[in-house]
Amino acid sequence: MNFNTLLKKLMNKSDSKDIAKKRLKFALLTDKLEIKTDTLGNLQKDLVEVISRYFEIDNESIKIDIQRSEECSALIFNTPIISAHRQMGIPAA
Amino acid sequence: MDGKVIVVTSGKGGVGKTTISASLGAALAMQGKRVAVVDMDIGLRNLDVVMGLENRIVFNIVDIIKGRCKIKQAAIKDRRIDNLFLIPASQSDDKDAIKPENMIWLTNRLRKEFDVTLLDCPAGIEQGFKNSIAAADEAVVVCTPEVSAVRDADRIIGLLYAQSITPKLIVNRIVPEMVKSGNMLSHEDVVEVLSIDLIGLIEMDDRVVVSTNTGTPLVLQEESKAGMALKRIALRLDGHPDLPIENPMDKKSFWKKLGSKFNRKN
Ligand SMILES: Nc1ncnc2c1ncn2[C@@H]1O[C@H](COP(=O)(O)OP(=O)(O)OP(=O)(O)O)[C@@H](O)[C@H]1O
Ligand SMILES: [Mg+2]
Repeated sequence: MNFNTLLKKLMNKSDSKDIAKKRLKFALLTDKLEIKTDTLGNLQKDLVEVISRYFEIDNESIKIDIQRSEECSALIFNTPIISAHRQMGIPAA
Repeated sequence: MDGKVIVVTSGKGGVGKTTISASLGAALAMQGKRVAVVDMDIGLRNLDVVMGLENRIVFNIVDIIKGRCKIKQAAIKDRRIDNLFLIPASQSDDKDAIKPENMIWLTNRLRKEFDVTLLDCPAGIEQGFKNSIAAADEAVVVCTPEVSAVRDADRIIGLLYAQSITPKLIVNRIVPEMVKSGNMLSHEDVVEVLSIDLIGLIEMDDRVVVSTNTGTPLVLQEESKAGMALKRIALRLDGHPDLPIENPMDKKSFWKKLGSKFNRKN
């Protein structure tokens, strides 16, 4: 560590390149979490197809969304269940 | 054996693609390769002036694609460096005068004539970029040590991977003094963020401007640090992948050390 960096450390001043690096890492992370507009629509169609094998659901009241915060992103999928289908392969009583 | 097609690309504009394409072309030709450098920026050509060949243009790339001339008629031969050719862009045509399938057709023919074809890609991710990467076997991504340039490079790298191309990185316009004072991202920072292999580091060098002013190849200037770095990148691209990458930071401290030794003696 040379004198300048020592002095900066003591004065608790960070280099502008450290700020650049931090911002860059954050930007790249959020860039990658960004999704194309039709991706969510396609995902919803696929999800409905899979879930419909097990449950009867109301296609109209489905909500799918991505929630972003500084820490993480979450995929939120919300659907009321109308009824459960009988398990396939189990004979009806 | 068929030659290879290398695209020089960046995402962000003005980071040095054209300068680097022209210099790598010249250096590879001086190493004995038959080289074509192609200006992919339809409607906004630049490579011709950087290479100093602007007053010899008769036909251009769109003429070739539209069948108005043969490849040989459009390729301008450099008179200073043997085996170096420029295929200029058209200045009057529309951006989408060329489509990816046209480029695949053209480069398949260029592979038969040239050992190396370098594609000087326009900035952005639109038609010119799509045309360039559709035809390329390899890619060199150029960025400067700035947040916006590195971010764009990251996007470009992702798009190249999607085309099954693993690009190599050049960090251009490094100012060692600023890196040392903590006011410029170091190439280590950039490599860490982008996590791809480096193929060369180029310093900020006034000779680049001088060379573009006069249209003389940068690699012919022995005193140019950027020129020398580019010669070594050309070697790495062509058969010497393990040639060590010189670090502009080391060089500085070496001369500084030497300088301070002299000072002490006097
Ligand atoms: N290592 C360097 N040192 C000094 N100047 C440089 C260096 N590299 C490039 N330049 C200068 O930066 C400017 C942009 O360079 P260049 O035209 O090669 O970039 P580009 O990526 O091709 O731009 P565009 O995206 O517009 O096609 C030019 O003025 C050039 O002289
Ligand atoms: Mg350019």
